Amino acid sequence: MEQLILLIPAIPILIAILLGFFDKKEIMPKISIMLSSMVAILALVGSYHVISNGKSIVGFGGLVIYNELSAILVPYVAILGLVIRKFATKYMWDEAGYKRFFVLLNFIFSSIYLLVMSNNLIVLALAWQLMSVYLYLLVSFNVGSKTAVKNARWTMYIHKSADFVFLLAVILTYKTFGSFDLEVLREKWLVMSQNPIEDPMIFVVGLLFLLAAMMKSAIVPFHIWLPYTSEAPTPVSALMHAGVVNVGGILLNKLAYLLILAPAVLNIAFFIGLVTAIFASMLMLVVSDIKRSLGYSTVGQMGYMIMEVGLGAFSLAVYHLIVHGIFKASLFLESGTVIKYARHEPNIPERLSHKTFWDEQKVYKSSKTFKLIALFTTVPVLAFIGVKLVLMEEFFEFNAAMIILAFAWLTGTQLFLSFFKVTKSDSFKVIVGLISSFILVLFTYEFIGLALEHFLYGKDALVFYAAATFNVTLIAALVVLALIMIVGWLFMYKQHFVGKAESKRAPDKNKWKFYRLLVKEGYYFDLFKYAKKGKI
Amino acid sequence: MIASIAYLILVSGLPYYLLLEKSKLFSSKSIFILSAVMLVGAIALTFFVENKHSDSFVIISYVSAVFSIYKATKTTNFYKLGYYFIFINAPFFMLFEEQGAFYSLSLLVSLIGIFSIANFYEKHYGSANYLYVRGVTLATPVVGLSITLYLITLGLYPPLPNALFFLTYIFNSEVDTLWYLVVVTLYFGNFLISMKVLEKSIFGKTNPDIHYVDLTYRDKVTHIIIMGILVLLSFFGVKEIVSWVL
Repeated sequence: MEQLILLIPAIPILIAILLGFFDKKEIMPKISIMLSSMVAILALVGSYHVISNGKSIVGFGGLVIYNELSAILVPYVAILGLVIRKFATKYMWDEAGYKRFFVLLNFIFSSIYLLVMSNNLIVLALAWQLMSVYLYLLVSFNVGSKTAVKNARWTMYIHKSADFVFLLAVILTYKTFGSFDLEVLREKWLVMSQNPIEDPMIFVVGLLFLLAAMMKSAIVPFHIWLPYTSEAPTPVSALMHAGVVNVGGILLNKLAYLLILAPAVLNIAFFIGLVTAIFASMLMLVVSDIKRSLGYSTVGQMGYMIMEVGLGAFSLAVYHLIVHGIFKASLFLESGTVIKYARHEPNIPERLSHKTFWDEQKVYKSSKTFKLIALFTTVPVLAFIGVKLVLMEEFFEFNAAMIILAFAWLTGTQLFLSFFKVTKSDSFKVIVGLISSFILVLFTYEFIGLALEHFLYGKDALVFYAAATFNVTLIAALVVLALIMIVGWLFMYKQHFVGKAESKRAPDKNKWKFYRLLVKEGYYFDLFKYAKKGKI
Repeated sequence: MIASIAYLILVSGLPYYLLLEKSKLFSSKSIFILSAVMLVGAIALTFFVENKHSDSFVIISYVSAVFSIYKATKTTNFYKLGYYFIFINAPFFMLFEEQGAFYSLSLLVSLIGIFSIANFYEKHYGSANYLYVRGVTLATPVVGLSITLYLITLGLYPPLPNALFFLTYIFNSEVDTLWYLVVVTLYFGNFLISMKVLEKSIFGKTNPDIHYVDLTYRDKVTHIIIMGILVLLSFFGVKEIVSWVL
C-alpha cells in the first residue's frame, strides 16, 4: 500500500496526458485540482507513515524514496500546487494557451516531486534537467512578448549551465565514491567524516554541486534570471519563487553528508550567501517594479538560505525555504491586486529617488520617541538571549544560534523602520501587535528549526556544525551585529530627528551615486551590453 | 585507418564542406537526405567494421562540428539545420565508438521529424525557412508542439532519447581532455542551436501577412509515428540507464 506513495511524481504526468484529451476549458482545472488533491492526500499519508514508523518508503529498486526530507517537502509542494492551480483557474482564463499552461504546470510539478523523492544521483540529474525545460516553456508562456522570450532564454542559459555542472559533479562522485545511490553514499560519507581524509577531489565534487545549486537558486552572480522573469504569468512566478528556486537548498540538503567532508565548500557557501543576501536586499529596496522587487527579495532569501547551509544549519535551510516559499507565493498571488490598484492611482509608484534625495524632509524635534522605539526592539532580543542562556547553554555552541540572532536583529530593524510610520499616528495597539508578532516569529523560528533538525538529522546535526569551520565566536558575531544595528540606527536618527534648516539642506552626491549604483542593479546589465558591443 | 576515413566521410560533413556546399546541383533538401542516408550507412557499418578511431580523426570531426555549429547559427532553413545537426554530432559517433550508434539512431529519428516539418513548410509556405512563419505556438499549436518536441530532443533534454543515450555514454566513458572538448561542445552546441530555432520559430507574434495552416490528418499521423518511435527509444534509453545504475 505504502508503495503507492512513490507514484506521486507520476500522477501529474497522468493529469497532463488526460488534459490532452479535453478541449473544454471548464474541465481542465477541475481534473487538475481533483487529481492533484489526491497527490496532496497521498503526500500527507506518506508523511504520517514516515513520522509514525520512523522508516522511509523505498521503491523502484531504490531509485525513489519517501524519507524525512520528502515527508516535509512533498506535502508542502503538493499543497502549494493546489493553491496555484486554484488561483490559475480564473487568473489564466482569458489567456491564449489555457490547456498548454495546465499541461506544463503539471509536468513541472512532476519533476519537482521526482527531484525531492529521488534516491539516486542519476534520477536526481534527470529531474534536475526536466524541471529546467518545463520552466523555460512556462516562463516564455507569453510567446508573443519579446522580453518574456528573451528572459526565458537567459533563464535557460543559466539552468543549462547548472545542468552541465551537476552532471560533471555526478560523474566525479561516481568515480570518487563508486555509487550513485544516495543512501549508500550517505553511509559512506558519514563513516568518512569520522576519519577525515585529505582528498582534493572531494572538494571539487562539493564545489561543483554548490555551483549547480547556486545557479538554480539564483545566487549572485547567477541571479540575473530570477528578477527578470516577472513577465511570466503570476501563478508561474509564485511557483518559481516558492518552489523552483528552492531546488538548490534541497540539493544541498540531500548532499549534506558530502559537504561535511569539504568544510571549505561550506565556508564558500557562507560567504557567497552573505554577499547575495546583502546585495539583493539592497536592490530590492530600490527597484520600482513590484514583481522585480519581489524577485530580488527572493534572491536575498536564497542567499540567506545558502548562508545557513554554509554554517552547517541544513535543517534551518529547509525550514527557511518552506516559510519563505509560503510567504512569497502569497505575495506574488497578491501582487496582481496591488498592480491593479497602482493603475488607478496616478501617484503610485511614488518617485522614490526624488522623495528620498531631493524632496523636503519632515523634521522631527524630539528624540524621545526614538529612544523608546530602540528600547522596544532591543528588549525582546535581549530577553530571548537571556532565556536561551538559562534554558539551554549548549545552544550557543552552534552556529545556528548566529543565524537565529541575526534573524532577530534583522527583524528588529524592519520593525524599527515600521515604527516610524506607526508612531506618527500614535497607534499603541499596532506597536504592541508588531512587537508580539516579532517575539512570536523569533521563537517559532527557533523552536521549529530545532524540531526539524531533530527530525531530519538527529544527532548528525552536531557533525554538521562541527564541520562548518567558519567558527566565529558568538560574542564576535554579536558585536558585529550590534555594530551594524547601532550604525543603522544612528543613521536613521540623524536623518529623521536631528533637524537642519531646510535652506541649507544640500543634496548629497555620494548618496545619490550609491543609490544609482543600486538602481542600476550594480551595472550588471550595462556590463553585458558593453561586452556585447565589444567595448570591454 | 581506411574504416576511420570512411566513417569520417559518412558522418562529419567533409564531403559537404569540400564539394556540395558550393555546388548548385544539389538542393538543401537533397543534401539533407544524402547526409541522413550516409548516417544510416555509418550506423550499419558499425555492425561489420569496428568503430574505433585514433584521436586525430576525432579531432578532425570535432573541427567540422564546431564549424557546423557556427553555420547552424546562421541558417534559418529547416533542411540546412537538419544536416548541420548531423555534422555537429559526428564527434560523438566517432568518440563513443559502438555506443554512439544508438545515439545516432535517435538523432536520426528526431531529424526525420524536422524533415517532415521542413517538408510541411515548403508545401504550405513556399520554403523551409522558418524565420517569417513565427508564432506558430498560437497560430498552429500542433505544429508548435511538434517543433518543440523535436528541438527539445535535439537540445539534449531528458526524458527524450538523445539526452538519455548521451548521459549513459558520458557516465560510462573514461574522461580525458578530448572527452571534455567533445562533450562540452556537443552539450552546449546542440542546446544553443535548438534554443535559437525555438525562439525564432514557435515563439514571437503571429505574422498577419501569412495564412497559417495546421497539420492535416495525414501529417498528424506521420508525426504521431515519429513521436511514438522517440517515446520507444526513450523507454529503451531509460532501461539502459536503469540497468546500468542498478
